[in-house]
Amino acid sequence: MDTQEALKSAEALLTGYASTRSEENRLDGTLAPENLCAVVSNLVAARWGYLMAITGLDQVTLGQLEILYHFGAGAAILTLRIPLPRIPIPSVDSICPIIPYANVYERELGEMFGVEFRNSPNTDRLFLPDDWRSAVYPLRKDAVLNEE
Amino acid sequence: MDTTVPQRFVVPIGPQHPALKEPGHFEFTVDGEQVTGASVRLGYAHRGIEKATEGRNWVQNLYLLERICGICSHVHATAYCLGVEKLAGVTPPPRAQAIRVLVAELERIHSHLLWLGVAAHEAGFDTLFMYSWRDRETVMDILEALTGNRVNYSANLLGGVKFDLTSELTDKIYKGLELLEERTYQYVDVVTSDATLLQRTRGVGVTTREQAEQLGLVGPTARASGVERDIRVEAPYAAYPDFPVKVVTATAGDLEARFVVRLQELFEAYRLIRAVLEKLPPGELQARMPRKIKPAETVSRVEAPRGELFYFIKSNGTDQPERIKVRTPTLCNLASVCVLAVGSQLADVPMILAGVDPCFSCNDRMVTVYSGDTDHTQWTWKQLRQYGIDYYRR
Repeated sequence: MDTQEALKSAEALLTGYASTRSEENRLDGTLAPENLCAVVSNLVAARWGYLMAITGLDQVTLGQLEILYHFGAGAAILTLRIPLPRIPIPSVDSICPIIPYANVYERELGEMFGVEFRNSPNTDRLFLPDDWRSAVYPLRKDAVLNEE
Repeated sequence: MDTTVPQRFVVPIGPQHPALKEPGHFEFTVDGEQVTGASVRLGYAHRGIEKATEGRNWVQNLYLLERICGICSHVHATAYCLGVEKLAGVTPPPRAQAIRVLVAELERIHSHLLWLGVAAHEAGFDTLFMYSWRDRETVMDILEALTGNRVNYSANLLGGVKFDLTSELTDKIYKGLELLEERTYQYVDVVTSDATLLQRTRGVGVTTREQAEQLGLVGPTARASGVERDIRVEAPYAAYPDFPVKVVTATAGDLEARFVVRLQELFEAYRLIRAVLEKLPPGELQARMPRKIKPAETVSRVEAPRGELFYFIKSNGTDQPERIKVRTPTLCNLASVCVLAVGSQLADVPMILAGVDPCFSCNDRMVTVYSGDTDHTQWTWKQLRQYGIDYYRR
């Protein structure tokens, strides 16, 4: 599928949600957390690309933590952006019931940024040591990592 | 003991080299010889590189990110450079882009030959392991002659590359390729006809096309199951638009298909390198890069030897990035091991694991050093350095 065609069909799938073309080959859609699973189900049902990665963005000045779900179809990239409040621990529905392999991405994001994934089949630590101090999320901008 | 209750036996594998000389921890639940469940635990080589990038400038990060992986270092640097150049609106000269492709393909040869050796070793075929690693030295020598380094070649610069090709180097590459090509024919013959090896590979760890898509596999692992997924073709970057790649796929989806796909990709790499050498565009090697980059974000994707490598880069107007996210191909592929291992024989697990060509150091990006059983605190750089000095003095 042509990149622009792919982006157009992604736009159609995102009808009703705010979306912008952030780059030539990219479409960004901003969603409320409760709509995430519905949109992801639509993408999967339409066989639009595959989930490439989940990124966390800690925006201290805005007081929010944004979760970015990147989907790719050829050169076209669709990013679903979920802005959440930083405090208390934000929570969002797990997309594992729809895309099972998202689990490793969610586990990484959960422990690194302190995000709770509801209905996740597995929320064990993936990368951090077993004795890592609880409530220290290393990739948050204000994380204190060195206690001397 | 109540014998009527079925016992659940858990076989821990790792963290000390489960199949490979890299750390990862797997727990396999077994019923006799059959695997009934599996789980994975990573992080033993995690170095906190994503976090570390936020405190360094754009140039320093190039050298840091290149050290994520010792096998596919060039591809990490390329993904980073392409992303940062896009953010800064800089177009590297065509000659630099072609040299990036050249090194990337040489790296693919070295990585695939390395994997061939490791996989052969796991299968108990050490002769093949030694032959393939001997031949790998040919490409290592080429890389060293080109860049001065066997690993972490440091060929990239922001805005271009560091070195040029001379006719002497070109001759060396042609000569090396000739030998490697001849040897690769031999390897294809061995992996498709050697009866002992085939017992370990044919029909083992079968991944159907459907499974490969559901598990989100990438790279040669996905292509061996018939999924035509290759960033060099889907979203050509650097000089790949000028040097198109032919995707190699297989349909069987077993370990044998993964051997064949990776070996056939070697022929494609030889062809690409010759094409680049023949049509190397003339001109400059580097474009000028600004020190600071305006706030923006981009996604940069490249095809590493193990599959799609994903970089998300966000700038904030300073000379340091706001956030760099790295998603390596191993993370996509490793999770599949837990699914594929279920139902197979425990003895096949190392082969299934090696079959995805996992790279743990790519995957893990932070380390905690324990200074003994009681003191579980993180060490500072100063303490770590002192420990090293004291250790070697003894």
